[in-house]
This record gives sequence, C-alpha cells and structure tokens, in this order.
Amino acid sequence: MNVSSKFKRRVPGTLIPLAFAGLLLAGCAAAPPPEDKEAVAAFKEANDPYEPFNRAMLDFNLALDKAILRPVTSVYLEVVPDPLQTNVHNFLQNLRGPVIFANDLFQGELDRAGTALLRFTMNSTFGILGINDFAAEVGIEKHDEDFGQTLAIWEVESGPYLVLPIFGPSSPRDGVGLLADTLIDPFTWLTPLEYRIGRSFGTAVDKRARNFDQINDLEKNSLDFYSAVRSLYRQKRRDEIRNGALPTNNPVPGSLSGVPDGKFGDQQSKVTPTER
Amino acid sequence: MLRSSFMVLGAIALIVLVYGAPVNAAARDAEGFIRDTGNKAFASLSEEGISKVERTKRFKELLEEAFDLPRIARFTLGRYWRVATDTEKREYIGLFEKFIIQAYTKRFQDLSGKKFHVLQSRDVSATRALVLTEIVIPNQPAIKINWRVRSKDDKHKITDVMVEGISMSVTQRDEFVSVIRQTGGKVAGLIKALRKKTSSN
Repeated sequence: MNVSSKFKRRVPGTLIPLAFAGLLLAGCAAAPPPEDKEAVAAFKEANDPYEPFNRAMLDFNLALDKAILRPVTSVYLEVVPDPLQTNVHNFLQNLRGPVIFANDLFQGELDRAGTALLRFTMNSTFGILGINDFAAEVGIEKHDEDFGQTLAIWEVESGPYLVLPIFGPSSPRDGVGLLADTLIDPFTWLTPLEYRIGRSFGTAVDKRARNFDQINDLEKNSLDFYSAVRSLYRQKRRDEIRNGALPTNNPVPGSLSGVPDGKFGDQQSKVTPTER
Repeated sequence: MLRSSFMVLGAIALIVLVYGAPVNAAARDAEGFIRDTGNKAFASLSEEGISKVERTKRFKELLEEAFDLPRIARFTLGRYWRVATDTEKREYIGLFEKFIIQAYTKRFQDLSGKKFHVLQSRDVSATRALVLTEIVIPNQPAIKINWRVRSKDDKHKITDVMVEGISMSVTQRDEFVSVIRQTGGKVAGLIKALRKKTSSN
C-alpha cells in the first residue's frame, strides 16, 4: 500500500476531534463591557474566549471519565501489581521514543536527541521491548518532547485555551502538535488499527492511574475545577517547554522579576524532567 | 608585567562577582530555614495514629509559622485586591487560611517512606531567595519542589511553593479570579463560595 492511501485511511480518525473545533464558533463567550476595566483585564488574562464551549467539553470528558476511564483505572490499580504497572508504563513510554527523538531534532537539541535514540535502542533490546527502563538504571535518564513543544520553541503562539473532546486540555498549538506527533510516529504507519486503539486506551489508563489521587483531590478541593485545570495545564506546558528550567519572569508573591537568567537556569535544564 | 597581574586579578574578581554571588549568606539562611521547616513538617505530620483534628492543628501551626499568609492571600486575589473593601479583605484572609488548611492537610497524610532533601538555593534579590528541594519516594521519580522565601530581620517566610514547575499561588489566583469573574466581578462572590466550601466538611 502506498503512503498516500495509508494517509487517507488513517488520518480522518485523528481529524474528527479537531473538527469539533468548528463548534467553537457557536460557543464564544461575550467579552465584558469595555468600561469595566477589571473585568476586561481579567478576560484578557484568562485567554479563554471559548469558555462556554470548553466548559461543555470538560463536562463531556468528565462524564466519559466517570463512565469508562475511572472505573477501568480503579480495577487496574486494584488488580495489577505495582511492578507490573511500572512495566506497562515503561512499555508505553518506550513506544514514544521515535516521536521524542524527532522532536529533539526539530528543536535542535542534538544531545537530547542522542539520548532519546540511545534509550529507545537500549530499552527495546536489553529492556525487553521497553518493559524495563534499562537505560535509566545505567544513568541515561528519560525526558519527553512533543510537537506542541517544538512549535513553542519555533515561537508559534499557543492561541486560546481549548478543551478537546477525549484529549482534554489543549490549545490550537497543542492540537496541531497532537496531530503532527501521530503523523511522525512510525508506529502509526506500521501497526494495525486494533493495536493503535489498544495503545491509546492503555496510555489513557496508565496516565489516569498515575494521577488518580491528584485528580480526585482536585475535584474535591477546588472552588472551580474548570479554572484550576486550565491553570495547571498552562503552567505544566510552560514547564515542559522550558524542559524544567526555572522560569525567568514568573510573577509570584514576593517576587518582582523572578529568577535571573544564567548559570543556574542552564544547570536546571540538564536535569531530566520527571514523568507526569 | 604589573599591568598584566592587575588584569588577572581583575578577571578573578569579576569571576568571583559573577559566579561566586549566588550562594551568599541570605540564600544559605533561607536554605537552612527550608531544611528545618521541612524536617519539622515531616516529623510532626508523618506521625502515625494521630487524629484528623490533631493533624489539622499541627498543619495550621506550621502554616502560620512558616508561610507569609497575608501576602499570599493578597497575591491570590490578583487584580481584585485593589477593588476589595477593607471588610472584604479581612474576611477573605481568614477564609483563605481555612481553605488552604482544608485543601492541603490531607496531602501530608502519607509521608512514610518519603525523604525530603534540600538541593541548592539562590538569591533572587537582597531579601528573596529560591530554595530547590526534592521529595524522594521509593520506586518513583523524585518530585521537584521549589520554595520562594522572603527574609526580613532574620525572619524567613515562604511566599510560594512550586511543585514540578507549577506554582500553588498562581494556580490558586487563577482559580479565585475566575470565580470572581463568574460572579459578576464581585469579591463578595468569592467570599461566599469560600464560606460555603470551608463549612462543608
């Protein structure tokens, strides 16, 4: 089968969620009246003109979570022993190797690209198809990259906040990144549909399992779950784009300018970002 | 000859100024403060068999002692601090503390087996430092926690906690500002929501 017919057969499935973006136009939030300065500033800061649509999507995703993902994950956490859960996580993470490698290259991070390639090779072989993180055991630590981060490095603006159905918190930039990563991923082209569905579902369960308590905690303890998630998502993405380096100008209490650039920040960027 | 020695000296002085500065006395003090606070928190909150009420009480004490709560409260109200009335500000600060205690006490329930390490620190300004720490959990990646510390007259107070690059103060501010926006830009709306939340359990 040639590439273009493969493309036609495989890509529409990925595009459908993005087509929901068309619905956005129907769900625009009304901007506050210009004479209310505080409200206008807060509206701009939130950078969330599609808030009504996004809130509806979050509700949809939460309903889906309660119906399927959470029950499945509860059973998974209950039944599967911890070491096996780690194996599952390692296996799924190893499959991301080629995508991480490609994005390291796109970002001009040759050292990190080398690390990604070495890790993928070592873990796929000595690590038995990736179920053991053999490379980390010998000190070659993992890191993550995706095309959304690559676009950020290329100075593409993130655009407004966007909650995608099923995929959750995102932005136009990260939505495009998601699609691009699917296309970059050799496993998209080399494996049958059943495998890809299984992998996606497995990844969702693994991620949900690793954040099980935190999500419950946030749902219970937040005044407004929607805006808490929005804030966490944005901060997490900023941290990932910086590869875990300290922010250079982050307005926080007791700090006017944040931490200056320099030696310290560079050291930090070499610290491997831990898994989320 | 003499001139070149001077140049070498100058270069050394410059290097010392540029690279020697980060860990000065203030940062070291802040580092010690975070180490003490962390150890104290681990010792007092990881004790097994203490009641929920006792745990909450201990957490409250640590919070009031180590954190600059009024400053954090002010920050988390964002741009709305300026438009809040004095009565609103007072009630808000009280409710904010209650809310934090309620939301965070549970997160310190399960500290057994976990280790707290101070990694390094850096001055942000003459009175402000950033302390980098991590919590090591067996068989899991370590969690990076950075603390912003403000020092005045040998007294240190925490002004923000960043977990894996996510600032607790910023998260709280974004959430609170959003609640205010939804209740028609009135701080009273947030106060009402906080009252309800802190009395519910």
